[in-house]
Amino acid sequence: MHSRLTIRRALSLATAGVFLVGCGGGGSTSANPAPPDKQILRVNDRTEPNSYDPTQQTYSYEAGVGRQVFEALLKPKADGSDVQAAAAKSYDISSDGLTYTFHLQPNAKWSDGKPVTASDWVYGYQHLLNPALAAGYVDPYFDSVIAGATHWGDFSSKSSVKDIDGFVSGLGLSAPDPSTFVIKLDHPAGYFKWVVTLWLAAPIRKDVVEQAAGGAFPSNDPTKALMWANNAATIIGNGVFKISEIAPKDHVTLVPNPYYWGGPAKLQQVIEYFIEDGNTAYSKYQTGALDMIGVPLADVTVVRGDPKLSKQANLYPRLGTWWMVANAQRPPLDNPKVRMAFAKSIDRNSLVNNVLHGVGTPTLSYIPKGMAGYDESNKVQSFDPAAAKKLLADAGVTAADLNKFKLLTRNTTGNKTINQFIVDQWNTNLGLNIQLDVVDSKTTTSRYLRKGDFDLYGPDGWGADYPDQQDWFDNYTTGACHSLNWGCAKLDGFDELVKKADAGVDQAQRNKDYAAAHKIMIDQAAIGMLYQDAEYDLIQPWVANVKSTAIDDQFLVGSFYWHDVYITTH
Amino acid sequence: MAISEGRSGRGALLPLRMSQLAGSRGGSLAIFVGKRILWMVPIVFFVILITFVLMHLAPGSPWDRTGGRQLSQAVMNNLNIKYGLDKPETEQFKLYLWNVIHFDFGLSYQYEGKSVVTLIGGGWPYTATIGFLAFLLIVPVGISLGVVAALRQNTRVDYITMGFATFAASFPNFVIGALMVVVFSVVLYKATDGNFFLPSADFGLDSHLIMPVITLSLLPIAYTARLTRASTLDTIRQDFVRTAWAKGLPERLVVIRHILKNSLIPVVTTLGPTFAFLVTGSVIVETVFNIPGIGRAFVVAVSSRDYPMILGTTVLFSVIIAVANLVVDVAYVFIDPRVRLT
Repeated sequence: MHSRLTIRRALSLATAGVFLVGCGGGGSTSANPAPPDKQILRVNDRTEPNSYDPTQQTYSYEAGVGRQVFEALLKPKADGSDVQAAAAKSYDISSDGLTYTFHLQPNAKWSDGKPVTASDWVYGYQHLLNPALAAGYVDPYFDSVIAGATHWGDFSSKSSVKDIDGFVSGLGLSAPDPSTFVIKLDHPAGYFKWVVTLWLAAPIRKDVVEQAAGGAFPSNDPTKALMWANNAATIIGNGVFKISEIAPKDHVTLVPNPYYWGGPAKLQQVIEYFIEDGNTAYSKYQTGALDMIGVPLADVTVVRGDPKLSKQANLYPRLGTWWMVANAQRPPLDNPKVRMAFAKSIDRNSLVNNVLHGVGTPTLSYIPKGMAGYDESNKVQSFDPAAAKKLLADAGVTAADLNKFKLLTRNTTGNKTINQFIVDQWNTNLGLNIQLDVVDSKTTTSRYLRKGDFDLYGPDGWGADYPDQQDWFDNYTTGACHSLNWGCAKLDGFDELVKKADAGVDQAQRNKDYAAAHKIMIDQAAIGMLYQDAEYDLIQPWVANVKSTAIDDQFLVGSFYWHDVYITTH
Repeated sequence: MAISEGRSGRGALLPLRMSQLAGSRGGSLAIFVGKRILWMVPIVFFVILITFVLMHLAPGSPWDRTGGRQLSQAVMNNLNIKYGLDKPETEQFKLYLWNVIHFDFGLSYQYEGKSVVTLIGGGWPYTATIGFLAFLLIVPVGISLGVVAALRQNTRVDYITMGFATFAASFPNFVIGALMVVVFSVVLYKATDGNFFLPSADFGLDSHLIMPVITLSLLPIAYTARLTRASTLDTIRQDFVRTAWAKGLPERLVVIRHILKNSLIPVVTTLGPTFAFLVTGSVIVETVFNIPGIGRAFVVAVSSRDYPMILGTTVLFSVIIAVANLVVDVAYVFIDPRVRLT
């Protein structure tokens, strides 16, 4: 998920990469489940969701609720190797790769007991793709691939009802019978099975939406279309849990959906608190008032040294990586040798050990360890100050040419700490005198990055929405000198490879094409790799059956599989 | 300002008669208050204007993200249209004013589909309760510490109270707050029954109030105590106090009727802004104790460029400050009979 890799999160310890299936709750006092009234899981979701309408959710703390209350068609296997059944019990792909047919769970029910039908799915996807609602995650995941959706960006809430209705009804979505949902694609896309695992692609009940809006409403009215999600009573979902209470800015309480097709969850309550201050959450954990938390960076060494807490702590690798960017539009940074010199003069081991306290792994690969595409062999960006100096000399670049450059730094403690270290590395290892330029975060984006007006910038990062490489390489296709591709280096042959691999259906061939693209971007030092994310979390010993994945939501360990989690007697 | 000194020779020796106030002054007081309330309209207008201009001058759009991949241009265009940000800014301003006149403060950008009124209405009770309780603590404690220190000037009592005041004023409240959390919630959590002092989450208006209220009050208590002490010392040396002592009045009467009443004027002046400051919330206290109040909401709104939320909270703050100052001005009448309202 794009934005879940915020810097704040990275530094408050983002989690783990190697799709490890970990069992949390080490050393439980007993294996016996506690009585039902004690089956309460208390976690920290950090921030209140901006919306409870899943289609409008884009941040990980929003998915932290959305994913529990709504269930997508498929979900990732715990080891990340493939998708598995969720709201759809199976799916078929037509031989031309253009038609996906999903066979829904026969006894799927909404949290109010009504059956989930294929037309609810059509309505949910139409709601998601209604341009008037401007859902943040539609582009590029859905509009670029679903038939009829490519003109999504041409419409808005200003468009006429006729235009919106025309667009929505022209989408490749259909329900040939109540238990079959069919999606037609615009072009073959080998990764589409992963797109339908996203929490925002959920079924939605038309009658609920219209009732909350006070009756039928014009399709270009975004306010009315979202009213249903403002009230716990009208948020009817098909997920494992349903919302029983929303306490604004404080917590949301989930209780089992009694009609869930896989049987009700063991937990009788999940309370997701919105505690933004990591130290406050840490205090609450220590008193037993929270069941799992992310350890604040400053407390990592304390927890490691504590005989009791260290047994409850786990380092979860994450499918996320971080890197530095050089503005390739600005000479001499347009020269790959100069960019490579910057990449080769950072001691990543020291960064991870001394700045991140071991929460993370040094990496030279853009694709993280734990998913297809991780490249261990390419060591071209490895730490080598002598070679880095030689690269600068070869490029005919002197210190004076580079000393005018500044390292653009977002104004957060985490970013400043990391960039102090990095600028010190550059200055020491390359004999430079570069300064930090610390700027308010939004200003960094709008005034400097979007306009390409910067020299060096970082750390920037990405976390997998799903473990398919398309999710990673599309960020760097050209024509997009923005978003993650701020440096905008010219990479010959890269676009063609990525385009071919995205559309491919043969997984082996796709992997080969992506690998070639990966080699281009690393060899040209389009980005200078730093480290792979990890998350250092504490879980109380009485939480049993936690199955973590490397794409879990922030601090919500094992949230894809909370259906089976339970609390032991303690 | 609307305060002028009247019959200066009358001094504070004559006690204030309520009947007098109700008769001759009552009418002018009502006119004064009415005028001041009307003045709030242009004040709020300029507050909105200035906030609006500054807000739009600040770089960054509500849809910029603080890291990772940005929303696509198509999404941002659609969001701008959805929230009317595609219109020229003058038109946006006029529209906002028109809506404010109808008590419509708009929808938050950050919280999809929630109105600013709902968000502020949900958060302000917490902020206001904590601020109000802190104020109730500050006034008696701060003033008595100051008076005691002044009456026992240069004794051990004075040194201890003023030492405490200096200490409380020099410790930032995030340090005090965090220290209290560590001591009461972590180290002593068994003694305090786990939840008793616990900050945050489940925030209820009960024992959870203790730590935030104390954290919030320490600095104003210290400030009020020092100010009261200085002002009391000033009053003690006045002729009318010497006269009061010479008349053989008991200490209690001298202190309360003659010293305190006169030394409180500067203190009351600062209590108005202090009250406004307290009930509008402290981002630090609200963050440390995870209080869902508007102090933090305001700071979050600014950093995420949630324009309607920024404007809504600023309007509320300006009204609170204006009202607090009005109350102070009216309070002068009751404390110091020399003060007349015009």
